[in-house]
Amino acid sequence: MNIKEYISSGIVESYVLGLASDAERQEFEAMSLQYPELVEAKIQFEDVLEKKMMAEGIQPPAALKEKIENSIQPSANPLYTDMYEEEQAPVRTTNPWKWVAAASIVLLAGSLVWAIFLNSEKNELASENNQLKEQLSSTAANADECRDMATALHRPGLRLAPLHGTNASPASLATVYWDTTSHDVYLIVNNLPAPASDQQYQLWALINDQPVDLGVFEMKQEKLLVKMKNVTNAEAFAITLEPRGGSPAPTLNAMHTYGKL
Amino acid sequence: MSADNTYSEQELVDRLKSQDNQAFSYLYDNYSNALYGIIKQIVGDTEVSNDVMQEVFVNIWKKVDTYDASKGKLFTWMLNIARNASIDKLRSRNFQQSLKQVPLTESEMAHPVVRPGLDDFGLKKVIYKLKGEQRMLIDLSYYQGYTHDQIAKALNIPLGTVKTRLRAALSQLRNLLN
Repeated sequence: MNIKEYISSGIVESYVLGLASDAERQEFEAMSLQYPELVEAKIQFEDVLEKKMMAEGIQPPAALKEKIENSIQPSANPLYTDMYEEEQAPVRTTNPWKWVAAASIVLLAGSLVWAIFLNSEKNELASENNQLKEQLSSTAANADECRDMATALHRPGLRLAPLHGTNASPASLATVYWDTTSHDVYLIVNNLPAPASDQQYQLWALINDQPVDLGVFEMKQEKLLVKMKNVTNAEAFAITLEPRGGSPAPTLNAMHTYGKL
Repeated sequence: MSADNTYSEQELVDRLKSQDNQAFSYLYDNYSNALYGIIKQIVGDTEVSNDVMQEVFVNIWKKVDTYDASKGKLFTWMLNIARNASIDKLRSRNFQQSLKQVPLTESEMAHPVVRPGLDDFGLKKVIYKLKGEQRMLIDLSYYQGYTHDQIAKALNIPLGTVKTRLRAALSQLRNLLN
């Protein structure tokens, strides 16, 4: 991207308004060192923004100013001045070893409590740590999956076939992406009626009007893209409703969607 | 300070950094309307807006040492403090409970909250000249503080698309401001 495109991409406004991500902000600051025209564009936007917002604001309640001014003054009456002034203790003589013994008991009890506390804290932290690890690995797995899907969709040679509803099911819609190089087939279910519990949808590729089974799929998909069986050649795709587990040949009067490449 | 005393931005910043109370008073007189405007547009409630306003000016006073003129104008810096404080307040548990706000849903996406009377001035008035989706994206991100990620999930569109469309919307906004 050249600098003119970068400047007009909306990044300047995004940066000034505090909407840029950390990475975008760092990139912007690095670019600013290199391109004075970027800094110029930023200052210009800051100026129009300030002018606009200064011209039209809302007047705060009058009493607020004094309240705020008072709250920034260093406090005249510190709160804790007299708290620790010691009283004169009566002088008594006691065997110093008694004090040592008493102090040890107090210390011992104290360290026991402390140890119990530390132990329970440790257990808590360990279980939290485990939970976080689990979350992290499932998030990472999700991210990997999304990345794979994104990569899949950006591959060159990827062809798209929208499958439109047939007369039997006019509202149905699905989309097939077929990678002409790797022969991978991905399906997006845009809209299909829910099948009965003993039934499943099955995807077919059609070559010379001959159907090739590409597998059955569930309606409830967590993933946006469902990867189906590969196919080396295809002229069209179709989805039929079949008994659960699929059929060797499509039930043509149960065809829900059909689309050519 | 005499009423006709004015400071240059640089002078004002220097005086604030040396904790000059008169400079603070000047800062308040000059910028309070603009900052109160953005706070009120985000937060809505007057009492809460006043609290946020106090927090914002106290923060400006305390943090003015960290203000770096090479990164932006004083107003931009203060505007971001005001917006962030307002959105933090909006997201805080107490405030959420008091408003009984619900998490971002698709229906909220379809009908972003419009607060009568607060949408017809300043930046928001300009934003309301944008077409539907662009307006919604700026409203959700700038005024309601949702992250790109949250918007992508709720609208069920890819994160990259949210970023591109939001940038396009912001670029359009600039054209309208000029």
